[in-house]
Amino acid sequence: MKYDIISAPSYALLEMTLNEGESVIVEPGSMAWMDTTVKPKTEMKGGLFSGLKRRMGGESFFLNTYTAEGGSGKIGIAPGYSGDIVVKELNNETIYMERGAYLCHLGNIETSVSWEGFKGAFAEGMLGLRVSGTGLLFFGSYGDVQEVEVNGSYIVDNGYAVAWESSLDYSIERSGRKIRSFLFGDQLICKYRGNGKLWIQTRSPRNLAAWVHPFRMVKSKSD
Amino acid sequence: MNINIDSEGAFGSAVVILEPGEKFVSEAGAMYRASSNMEIEVESRKKKNEGMWGAFKAGVKSMFAGESFFLSTYRTNDNQSGEVGLAPTHQGEVRKITVGSETWICSGGSYLGSSGSIELDTQYQGLLKGGFSGEGLVFVKASGEGELLVNGFGRISEVEVRDGITIDNGHLIAFTEGLEYTIGKAGGGWISSMMSGEGLVMKFRGNGKIFVQSHDPGRLGGALGALLPPRSD
Repeated sequence: MKYDIISAPSYALLEMTLNEGESVIVEPGSMAWMDTTVKPKTEMKGGLFSGLKRRMGGESFFLNTYTAEGGSGKIGIAPGYSGDIVVKELNNETIYMERGAYLCHLGNIETSVSWEGFKGAFAEGMLGLRVSGTGLLFFGSYGDVQEVEVNGSYIVDNGYAVAWESSLDYSIERSGRKIRSFLFGDQLICKYRGNGKLWIQTRSPRNLAAWVHPFRMVKSKSD
Repeated sequence: MNINIDSEGAFGSAVVILEPGEKFVSEAGAMYRASSNMEIEVESRKKKNEGMWGAFKAGVKSMFAGESFFLSTYRTNDNQSGEVGLAPTHQGEVRKITVGSETWICSGGSYLGSSGSIELDTQYQGLLKGGFSGEGLVFVKASGEGELLVNGFGRISEVEVRDGITIDNGHLIAFTEGLEYTIGKAGGGWISSMMSGEGLVMKFRGNGKIFVQSHDPGRLGGALGALLPPRSD
């Protein structure tokens, strides 16, 4: 397998050449184009329960496997957001990820939902994605992605953390000390503790959605 | 203080490194990352000795500026240096403007942050000017000495103005004090002006510098808003 990430960091797309018999598992919807030698197969990997768990983690119920058959083949894989793509080699290790960041992987990697408890209710959602095993993992961001080596602790605003190594733990905290800070959602921040890598994106889909909201027409009372 | 603009492409952002005792201010929602020794305080824009009423007025004014009601102030709390990262909502560039010999006036939505040594003042543009310029009712005036950070939707360009320039509404980021503007029609007559799709423009007179953005966020907002179901709030 050979790969190249083109048009990074703003409009990153993963171009991958698979040798005959090699396969890549791709988040549904992320395949942009492929050679006719690349054959897709959709399956509910790990059975119904695993599928449901993935679904709850914001990922898809089904996993799509793309295999080169009868020769090598090229496939283009693009995330839903415009932004960067990160490559991470996993060697019998685990990383956690924001819902929706997962793009694709090769090798023996399991993706499953991770219960983030009530602290997660204020962050990216109740559930995150746990990715573990050995292989090559690709994930995407909205905007640029910045890698931070955490030694001790680090603060990330709600909605900007993309992925973090399992050696890091986080909690949701209030940042300001002023009484009026409760008025602002962005005053809830994620504080990461421990030693490990953390990936942060430089744009927030939620902030964009909140910005667009006032441009919607106001529903008239007669509707 | 040291400011690193991380990308000048589609997704600009800035990481500000603060030494002990230094302060930085930003639009309240702009912080996306920070070292854990960063103390973040949310304050409304108020002038000294104006009390709560002043704070309220200042808040209402900056709300009209299309800017958050509040600004955040950052400083480290442990006599060590620290960092804070600031990012805008939209795709586009972030620029650093040095304020000193020149005072800059920034459209409300373009202000990202500024060093603590810069004095910020909100300038009410008046209903006629502000309501029709597409830049919001309030501009932010940055004076004193320090660095000002602005964000643009798309690419940011600097324009040297000699005598004057016409800028379509929605494209203004910031201009130097001394330039004066009026709101007017783009073409010869009102009808041709409206037909051209340009509508109202800002006509600047004088000499100075202007930063403009390649795209108008209001047009994206209008296009997306029309495609979404109506809101109830």
